[in-house]
Amino acid sequence: MTAIYLQVLSEPRFLQPASSKSMNANVQQRVVKVIADILNRKESEIGLDASLRDDLQVSSLDQMTLYIALEDEFQRTMPPEEVTALTTVKAIIDFIDRKLQESSPP
Amino acid sequence: MSRRVVITGAGVISAIGNGAEEFWRNCLQGKSSVATIPADWERYADLHSRLWSPLPEMDPETLGVARAERLQLDPVSMLAIGAARGAIEHAGFTLSAAGARSRNFVISGTDSARTGAYLGTGIGGAYSFLHNHTYHLHRRPYARLQEYAMERASAQDREELEEILALIEHGSRYNPFVVSMLMPNAPSAALGIKFSLTGPNATYCVACASGTVAVGHGYRAVRNGYVDIAMAGGSEYLYDEHGHIFRGFDIAGTLVRDCADPEFANRPFDKERSGFLFSQGGAAVLVLEDLEHALGRDAPIMAEIIGFAETFDGYSMMSLAPGGEQIERMLRAVLADSNLEPTDVDYVNAHGTGTRNNDETEAMVIDRVFGKAVPVNSTKSLLGHTIGASGAFEALVTALTLRDGKTHVNNNLAMPSYDLNFVRCVENFDPDIGISQSFAFGGHNAALVLRRYDE
Repeated sequence: MTAIYLQVLSEPRFLQPASSKSMNANVQQRVVKVIADILNRKESEIGLDASLRDDLQVSSLDQMTLYIALEDEFQRTMPPEEVTALTTVKAIIDFIDRKLQESSPP
Repeated sequence: MSRRVVITGAGVISAIGNGAEEFWRNCLQGKSSVATIPADWERYADLHSRLWSPLPEMDPETLGVARAERLQLDPVSMLAIGAARGAIEHAGFTLSAAGARSRNFVISGTDSARTGAYLGTGIGGAYSFLHNHTYHLHRRPYARLQEYAMERASAQDREELEEILALIEHGSRYNPFVVSMLMPNAPSAALGIKFSLTGPNATYCVACASGTVAVGHGYRAVRNGYVDIAMAGGSEYLYDEHGHIFRGFDIAGTLVRDCADPEFANRPFDKERSGFLFSQGGAAVLVLEDLEHALGRDAPIMAEIIGFAETFDGYSMMSLAPGGEQIERMLRAVLADSNLEPTDVDYVNAHGTGTRNNDETEAMVIDRVFGKAVPVNSTKSLLGHTIGASGAFEALVTALTLRDGKTHVNNNLAMPSYDLNFVRCVENFDPDIGISQSFAFGGHNAALVLRRYDE
């Protein structure tokens, strides 16, 4: 059990972030993997423009699970009021990308 | 309607082995798992006992629990799922996927509406309650203290503040699923969901007797024709990061005190016993089946359950009533339920916790009802006390004893406190009838009678 931001500060990859472009590609891959994992689908089924609700049939319970899985994956908190507004896979990737570039963890 | 009820399979997740057969082999070898408690626990309290029986490290995937499910399930439910899955396979059933994108299963060749879940637990998802409570209580003080330490405190104060911060560390979130993780019925519900069981689904929350009571009620449901199959047993998870649950039992004076020789500390029925060995937990689930149903599919049959009874002391929350009158009444009732006399009983799997109070009263009642000749052992002498799962483990040991004609030793018995026939070595004695009994905080007493199955 470790307080989350101590954990984040001690992780080198957050101290020396990769360049913006390569980081985005890496984030994309990891987000798609988490979504596929949570929804029990193949990664190839998770299109970037897919709507969570209409294309991927994400229920509100799936959504909660998805965001706590993403919190674990990226070691950032995902406040429900911010993430429920995200409606596509791409919106999630962009959101996490911004989170990771913030100078200090939330 | 009264049907014969047989045990056709069992699954186990335990400190001394996973799967019924591995668990049983290790029981017969007298194996146990004893270790010093996690060092972190001693940062929060001065504890009297320093030993516990830890579970081996395990990947939830091996319990059949995927990452998405892990985020929503307390370990007590994962253990129940792992044990149930083992039980289903051990009973010769096959599992198939419940749907295209489902992680759940259906048990092939069964009527899910005629299959029930009867599961015991003492504290349910207490781990999740405590884990999230720590976050709830510490998150904001931690943040404020850390901000103060980093921005305004002197270098000397900062060092001390960091030590305090280390004591109030917390998890990474307040889990949105916490209510459904901590509720005591979560393990039986998780089992029903995982295996698409739509028959009765109930939780038996009677402390150390939970497993026995759950198996007993599952047995009655099959016997009375309410269901054809009962998935029955117990699951318990007693770990938390701060040793909160351990402390509760420790301060009550129930845990092993004499910890100088860890391998020898846990000694039910011995003169030098000093309390029970705290277990991290575990789960045992039995498949109880209508005999005709089992024969119809050529199922392996481990043993038959032929009786169940329960009584209540009505005396004290934490102490057995001196004299054990209600335990005796329960034993006479379970014999009547089984149409047996005391002299018919060939083996007693005792509650045998290793506390001074329990073993004394229990030994006296065994002597009074069954006499000094019947072989007696305590499975807790190997496994420690798994609280709500213990009765299920012990029902399984009783069934396997009848199946194989031999049982495990009463471990660490150097100087027996009582003149009873404690099992000292593993040898064939071919018992026909075995009894498994449990007593619980609150005052609950329960017992099962099992018979060797002959075709």
